[in-house]
Amino acid sequence: MAQATQPAAAPVREEVPEIAEEPSADLPWDVIVWDDPVNLMSYVVFVFKRVFGFPEHLARKLMLEVHEQGRALVASEPREQAERYVKELHRYGLRATMERAS
Amino acid sequence: MSRTFTRHGDAIRLTLRAEEAQLLERLAGELRTALQRPGPDDPVHSRLFPPAVLGDAQADREVRDLLADALLADRLEGLESVLALVAGARRSRGRMVVDLHDEEPLLLLGVLNDIRLAIGARIDIEAIDRDQVGVDDEVAYPIAVMDHLGWWQEQLLVLLDGERG
Repeated sequence: MAQATQPAAAPVREEVPEIAEEPSADLPWDVIVWDDPVNLMSYVVFVFKRVFGFPEHLARKLMLEVHEQGRALVASEPREQAERYVKELHRYGLRATMERAS
Repeated sequence: MSRTFTRHGDAIRLTLRAEEAQLLERLAGELRTALQRPGPDDPVHSRLFPPAVLGDAQADREVRDLLADALLADRLEGLESVLALVAGARRSRGRMVVDLHDEEPLLLLGVLNDIRLAIGARIDIEAIDRDQVGVDDEVAYPIAVMDHLGWWQEQLLVLLDGERG
């Protein structure tokens, strides 16, 4: 008869910390560009084309939305990509913010 | 009015009158100082390093902390490059001439924009009704400078857009 061997260490139930997952964690972040009285309209179009690769007509449409409505949604992306866009837009001097998509 | 920027082969040529060159050098130098030694509640700093996240103060701090050093470094690098271009430009018959290559036109475009934003922040341009500004008003000169630099930007954009077309 074989002897029962004592385990080297008593099995313990592994504690799995409960992570309170934010309900909106998977939602993208909206990147918003805001109107300001200094940036030239032609400059904003140029920046939109350069940062996002937008074609002329879309860049112009969004610029006019910023100009006439005070803001425009220019991208909706995961957080890291949204941060990169905001950084680029700030580098060009545009007023840009990101917020969780609703 | 003669053109400030013209195409010359692979280069974009910047031609400034002596007083324009002095103005650009002075404004770029002042902005460099303002960025290196920002005062408390400096409107220029607030404008060039604006909020990044809405509706979440903690995320805003995180993102701005993440971006601030790189943004400052990029801006200072642009200013240093433009100041070096002006310092190294050739002078001829009362004019400063410099040929811009590769990324230099884009750097200058960004510096011109930063200078205009800085001037606008200093005079609180958002609170000004431009139609009410008279020639003797103290903001008339800074606004005229912003418009002049804006005219340079417009010319540069036409050439840069042509390249991309």
